[in-house]
Amino acid sequence: MSEERKSASLSGAGKLSGGDYARVSISGAGKVAGNLKAEALSISGAGKVEGNVEATQVSVSGGASFGGSVTADEMSVSGAARIHGEARVKELKCSGTFRVGQSIVAEYVKVSGHIHVEKNLEAEIFKASGAFTIAGLLSADRIEVRLGGRCAAGEIGGEKIEILRGGFRERGILLDGLVRMFSGSGVAELKVGTVEGDDIALEETTADVVRGKRIRLGPGCTVESVEYSESFDAHPSAKVTKKTKTD
Amino acid sequence: MDEENLIAKKEVLRETDISYGQLYRWKRKGLIPEAWFVRKSTFTGQETFFPRDKILERIGRIKAMKDTLPLDDLADAITQQVTAKVQVAVEQLRRATWFDEAAVRECGVDLRGARSMSIADALCVAVVGKLRALARAEEQGLVQRTIRQHLDESFLERVAESDLHLHLLRKKVAAGGISAEISVVAVAPLTVLFDPDVQRVGTVDLRNTLERIKLDLVSGTGGSCGGAASGNREEER
Repeated sequence: MSEERKSASLSGAGKLSGGDYARVSISGAGKVAGNLKAEALSISGAGKVEGNVEATQVSVSGGASFGGSVTADEMSVSGAARIHGEARVKELKCSGTFRVGQSIVAEYVKVSGHIHVEKNLEAEIFKASGAFTIAGLLSADRIEVRLGGRCAAGEIGGEKIEILRGGFRERGILLDGLVRMFSGSGVAELKVGTVEGDDIALEETTADVVRGKRIRLGPGCTVESVEYSESFDAHPSAKVTKKTKTD
Repeated sequence: MDEENLIAKKEVLRETDISYGQLYRWKRKGLIPEAWFVRKSTFTGQETFFPRDKILERIGRIKAMKDTLPLDDLADAITQQVTAKVQVAVEQLRRATWFDEAAVRECGVDLRGARSMSIADALCVAVVGKLRALARAEEQGLVQRTIRQHLDESFLERVAESDLHLHLLRKKVAAGGISAEISVVAVAPLTVLFDPDVQRVGTVDLRNTLERIKLDLVSGTGGSCGGAASGNREEER
């Protein structure tokens, strides 16, 4: 047996058993039974991997479903992808629809489509201009959101948190159409339980509690309770039921 | 016990002078265990609390070490799946606070000429060392044998993941004018209940002990983790 790993390409309807590959590309209706290890996995048709994926690079431009977890250095989703397990990806870019049954653990996440996470999303940098639903905690050093649809999170925590109205366009990405597709009636807002951070700037956000050092509330905010330690200011249209200065 | 002694997150930040950013970052890195985050509803809304002693001790350690050691190395040390095979350098151990030559002898570890010992041995030494002031010689032997008997990789993993404590107990029995005292060692969660005649001699938090060993190890290595640099990550000063 040679030591060299093989590449596999499925176009049409095909099935591949799991294993260790150099490159795997699925462009028809392909299925991988078992765990898959590959340098690059690209799915542009309807692909399904039944086990766990470990890859340097994963790209999905069609529809993909992963029965297990995905571990990758880079992952890009421009079609629709669903992971039943966990996603451990250093760099994640999503301009399509992405659903994750467990948590996402990443370094860098950029969402311009729609992302749905059943548990937590952890990253160092989180940038979103589309819509997201994160049932648990969204945590990152820097969170930069330009609201592009209905967004929701259980909790948000980090160093610098900036949630602003949408309308910012990324270079070279077909963003507007997608955002409109996924955002329903053009509502762009965030609903969240608790927000905690050192520097927090919010717009169009409904929250139970916002805690931080420096807090700025912009238009469209409704916050039950604000606790700040250094500074606080609010747009005239922001509604705050209770605010407390802590030391 | 100290489970009752909780501290609110904002109090933690104030007492330790760290930022929300740092706390969340350390949580993400696994430096602060998920289990320590206790959610409670208060009149100000949902708040997070921590076991006071544990969180303050841990943050103190992280703060003391983060300037000399990359955060990721620190995280690796705490979160890494330990295997019973991991070897621990002996000179580093000698510097650790829990290290105790007598406990080493009690555990039957021969350090003469040895440059390293296994994590399992180190755990045994640490636990026996902690109980030495309280336990009689034969009880130390009992503790040692209990750990030895159960110590394998899966036990270490269980220790790392759950709230297991080692309890040293004594019970007096008297019958017909003769009384005797028996010693018992149990490994169980802190919440375990015993009958009223049982006297708790000592309890050791196994996970905490294991994490301490690992932390002492990394702090001793000076962070020479070689070529796998973590890139241009923005590390907090």
